[in-house]
Amino acid sequence: MKPHHHLDAATLVGYSAGALPAAFSAVVSAHLSVCAACREQRLDADSIGGHLLRQQEGAALSASSRQAMLARLADEPAPFVTTAAGKQHRPDALPEPLWPYFGETYSTLRWRLIGPGVHHIRALGVHDGHLMLLRVAPGRSLPMHSHGGNELTMILQGAYDDSLGHFAPGDVADLDCDVEHQPITSAGLPCVCVAATDAPLRFSGWLARRLQPLFKL
Amino acid sequence: MGMMPPDAVTSRVTPIEAVRRVSLPANQAADDASYWADQMRAVATRRDVDCFMHIYDHYAPRLQRYLLGLHVPATQAEELVQEALLRLWRRADQFDATRASLATWLFRVARNLYIDAVRGEPHWMPIQDGLDRLDHESTQQDATSTESYTDHAGLSRAIDALPAQQARLIRMSYFEAKSHSEIARELGMPLGSVKSNLRRAFAKLQVGLRQAR
Repeated sequence: MKPHHHLDAATLVGYSAGALPAAFSAVVSAHLSVCAACREQRLDADSIGGHLLRQQEGAALSASSRQAMLARLADEPAPFVTTAAGKQHRPDALPEPLWPYFGETYSTLRWRLIGPGVHHIRALGVHDGHLMLLRVAPGRSLPMHSHGGNELTMILQGAYDDSLGHFAPGDVADLDCDVEHQPITSAGLPCVCVAATDAPLRFSGWLARRLQPLFKL
Repeated sequence: MGMMPPDAVTSRVTPIEAVRRVSLPANQAADDASYWADQMRAVATRRDVDCFMHIYDHYAPRLQRYLLGLHVPATQAEELVQEALLRLWRRADQFDATRASLATWLFRVARNLYIDAVRGEPHWMPIQDGLDRLDHESTQQDATSTESYTDHAGLSRAIDALPAQQARLIRMSYFEAKSHSEIARELGMPLGSVKSNLRRAFAKLQVGLRQAR
């Protein structure tokens, strides 16, 4: 999986700065887990944070803190070498960063039908933005929508086309508020994607009335 | 340059053990990433407490300032600073000077602790560990990668050269952890302009990063 559509630099800066709403961070992490190019960009963004930290004037710590630090060192057991067992790639597995929100495998997802050919799962416990999985049947057009805020979508399976191009697994569509788009899913496989939004999607098409309540809009 | 701070030219004859105990004058040697990388190596290989406390003395107040800027109460901020440095002690062997400077490494740890403990996002930390593992694996595969992040003169210049508006957006992102929407609201700017300005600033800073070598 080598993605062709990448994260917006502004999104990466927000991620690196710890300034992105949680729902967006989840999608960014999922993309980073499959995109070495964006991981390099993330390192640059972190380097900017490190540099700003280095340039800063320090703030005074309480008088006892140095002693407390030494005491904690003395309590430390000998360091253990962390052996990170690489997870084997399973075709049924979701990207690892999504596991806490949706579980580990596609086969165990509990989809809810929300409209003709459209299924949906909403991540629970995300208080900052909305995070959801969407599954759209092949060869379908999604309702035309625009955004009051940001939308970040990553394709997990299948594909779609819209005015911005062809989006296949691993690709992200990192959209500004002024973009109005109408994705059409490719023939063959259903298109599964994970999406984060921070503001209501505004549907202008036929599915609108049925989708709105489900997105809690 | 070895263990010696770049400014300590006059003390070059001093035995190295003595030099290490000398606390650096404020703002000197701080910019020399290879100096700090050497301190980290001493921590990793010899479990050298003096070198560790030297890192502590220099960076703990900066981390404290960073967390206070994010409105973390002072007591909790101090706990997180200690936690960050404890992680450095435990994971010193994982520090890779060719991938990131010590400052960058500490920034990441402090930010991760902030998101975990203050913002209450329990999934962030394990996810970051997973991504770091991927980074580590791809670095090992790519042995030709000689890119080093040890010199930041170019980045310094690039930050100084940013237009005021872009510099402000960068600071609001990193020092206040404000989302694009929050920045847009606060400055009365369209969301699209916030993002395009951040994009431009990032591109300039990346050029600075590359020029540094």
